[in-house]
Amino acid sequence: MDFIQSMKIATSGLKAQSGRMRVISENIANADSTGRTPGADPYRRKVPTFTSHFDKEANANTVALGQVKKDTSDFKTRYEPGHPAADQNGYVKYPNVEPLIEMVDMREAQRSYEANLNIVTATRRMIQKTLDILRA
Amino acid sequence: MNVLKTKMQWHQVRQRVLSENVANADTPHYRGKDLAKVDFQPHSVVPPSAPRVGMVQTSAGHLAGRAPSDDPSFKKNGGPNFQVRPNGNQVNLEEEMTKSAENQIDYQTATSLYQQSLSVLRTALGRKA
Repeated sequence: MDFIQSMKIATSGLKAQSGRMRVISENIANADSTGRTPGADPYRRKVPTFTSHFDKEANANTVALGQVKKDTSDFKTRYEPGHPAADQNGYVKYPNVEPLIEMVDMREAQRSYEANLNIVTATRRMIQKTLDILRA
Repeated sequence: MNVLKTKMQWHQVRQRVLSENVANADTPHYRGKDLAKVDFQPHSVVPPSAPRVGMVQTSAGHLAGRAPSDDPSFKKNGGPNFQVRPNGNQVNLEEEMTKSAENQIDYQTATSLYQQSLSVLRTALGRKA
């Protein structure tokens, strides 16, 4: 039944977006995670990727969270000579996480999740209508 | 009744296509799809079927296979008011949601009509509608 397939596809979208949310929350939580030893690298921002692949059962392109890649941009540095992770010059490396960008990403994930959820609701309503024929 | 059945099946397939678009709203280089409008000509009163895998012609003497993209029941989204995101994704979420709502309403109309014709049949048979 095609309606069940619609639900499956929307579910794959929900799963992918919640996985993205997980990565974003990891980034936000670690926004201030510095290294422990002098000059050590801090937490590196993670970037979720999406891949579309053909699902034979649903006969459609479902979406899945692909590899979680590392953001290769430079770390931020701050002058804090008293910090345990400070290098010889007194600079501490901070993660390349930009809270504002993460918040925007989070909003986007939220919206996409809602859209997928709406598809599930709409499909459910259509199934209900089909079943109503039997009842009439 | 048959026409309504075809229409309902078409809406069912369309819902699948739309959910596919929404699910892939963040997939890089994904292009949205939609179904071509259902055509009630006698020769084509068959539900639009799902795309088939195309055959590759390995020799000139072989029959040419029809690629899934040739399927007239599917059409790629296109048009002037078209936006492409920097990651190559071409799905417009607002548009897809509107289409989904439209699909749902049309489906509801079709099922209501179906129900009505059933009750007409029942009345004709002399039972209480």
